[in-house]
Amino acid sequence: MLEMFSYDFMQRAFVAGIIIAVLASVSGTFVVLRRYSMISETLAHSALVGVAVGLVAGLNPLWMAVVVAILSAWLIEYLRSEFSLYSDAVLAILLSGSLAIAVIIVSLGGAFNNSLFSYLFGSILSVSSEDVITIAAFGTVALGILLIFSKELYFIAYDEEVAKTSGVKVKLLNFLLVSVVAIIIALSIRVVGSLLIGALMVIPTISALQFRVGFLKTVLISLVFALVSVFAGMTLSFYFSLPSGATIVLCVLFIFIVSLIANKR
Amino acid sequence: MKFTVPILDVKDLNFEVKGQSILSNISFEIFSSEYIAIIGPNGGGKTTLIRMLLGLDKPTSGEIKIFGKKLEDFKKWYKIGYVPQRASHVDSSFPATVLDIVKMGRTSQRGYLSSFSEEDKQFVQDAMLKMDVLDLSDKMIGTLSGGQRQRVMIARALASKPEILILDEPNTGVDMVSQKRFYALLKQLNRDDGITIVFITHDIGVIADDIARLFTINQKAIICNDPKQTLSCQEMSELYGIDAHSLHVHKHEH
Repeated sequence: MLEMFSYDFMQRAFVAGIIIAVLASVSGTFVVLRRYSMISETLAHSALVGVAVGLVAGLNPLWMAVVVAILSAWLIEYLRSEFSLYSDAVLAILLSGSLAIAVIIVSLGGAFNNSLFSYLFGSILSVSSEDVITIAAFGTVALGILLIFSKELYFIAYDEEVAKTSGVKVKLLNFLLVSVVAIIIALSIRVVGSLLIGALMVIPTISALQFRVGFLKTVLISLVFALVSVFAGMTLSFYFSLPSGATIVLCVLFIFIVSLIANKR
Repeated sequence: MKFTVPILDVKDLNFEVKGQSILSNISFEIFSSEYIAIIGPNGGGKTTLIRMLLGLDKPTSGEIKIFGKKLEDFKKWYKIGYVPQRASHVDSSFPATVLDIVKMGRTSQRGYLSSFSEEDKQFVQDAMLKMDVLDLSDKMIGTLSGGQRQRVMIARALASKPEILILDEPNTGVDMVSQKRFYALLKQLNRDDGITIVFITHDIGVIADDIARLFTINQKAIICNDPKQTLSCQEMSELYGIDAHSLHVHKHEH
């Protein structure tokens, strides 16, 4: 098994994968508890617009993905808080709208190639040293924000109105959470792919929730599940020449099924 | 008991939704250590009034002052404990122990990144002891009965050491024995700890002996300071839509 670590690209992919597993599982806990699971799918599709712009304009697709995902996250929060729109409807509109825009940009720019395919489904071969540095830098900031505001975000997840009446700055923290989630998703699409990152963010937490333990234990279980899935998924991806995102998601799905059966009442 | 300090001051409050009046010209003052019950028919605006007092909804016109400050300028929200209507309806899969929930009550008083101090621990323990949930500390909230959850929610509200406790019909889905215990606890909090209580309820008969004043809300507000006045108040009966309950209400003193 150690053979795969003799390759530089695998070392890069594993470093990136471990950072993403930590970020996706920790942020995913807040996202799932807030009943916001679909936001990860929507932001992943929005990030694709950034990737498309980056590919066509010759800019760094990862940076562009971060920018567009954050703008999209703010738009979602704005529409959700200022208009009488159902949250899931807002997410559905932006999801399909973003995908349409991304496809049009890529088609017009003639960039429909393997590079885009790797952003859709993830590719461990495509993770560059620059990507690892970007993922580590943004990832540290994102994780720092989540840790600093974890007790406030947990309170909001439990009951947004009660948190607000207790003096918690709910609106600001909601914007902060979706911004952090947007960054994490944009960073993750290199390894997991924009069509599959939602699964890595949501399924480890849902699996951990089956154990019916307190908050901290739930976060830790979710983190372990995400790390195991990323490690197993990338290993399988290397030895069987499979897309990394798809194998990671199948591993996390397997863990979910086992968790569900093991905790059946 | 003497009530001298107005801690909630509401003047000419109006609330409209798409031109339809929900609350009209509501004015009242609530004083420190009072026990106020709010009754009224469903849809009469009780919850809307509470939501405006808590800053969750903005009034169309009028003014609310809390502890002498305009609501917009009020920052010390930890002085107000709020237990909402859905208190006993907790998502059973939410990953929280009883201790996790009660600790939430300290959130706004703790700084970002600050550890849980000895003072925080003491306040949380006091609140749990008072609500008799200390032995449930490690239990998952989803496994508790309706009455136990209700007491946990009040412990959470008490953990911030509030001066006012606002409760919006938190008895929904709670059995009779738990309800009686709950009323006794509220009475104790008001009499022994001096906490001002504002309580939306339908069970006015049960707590009639405990309360200082009764507010009847049905778009307008009728404030009854005297039991006889309450009983004979034709206007109140019209507002409430049914005959008033037989009440024994303490006279309000200034």
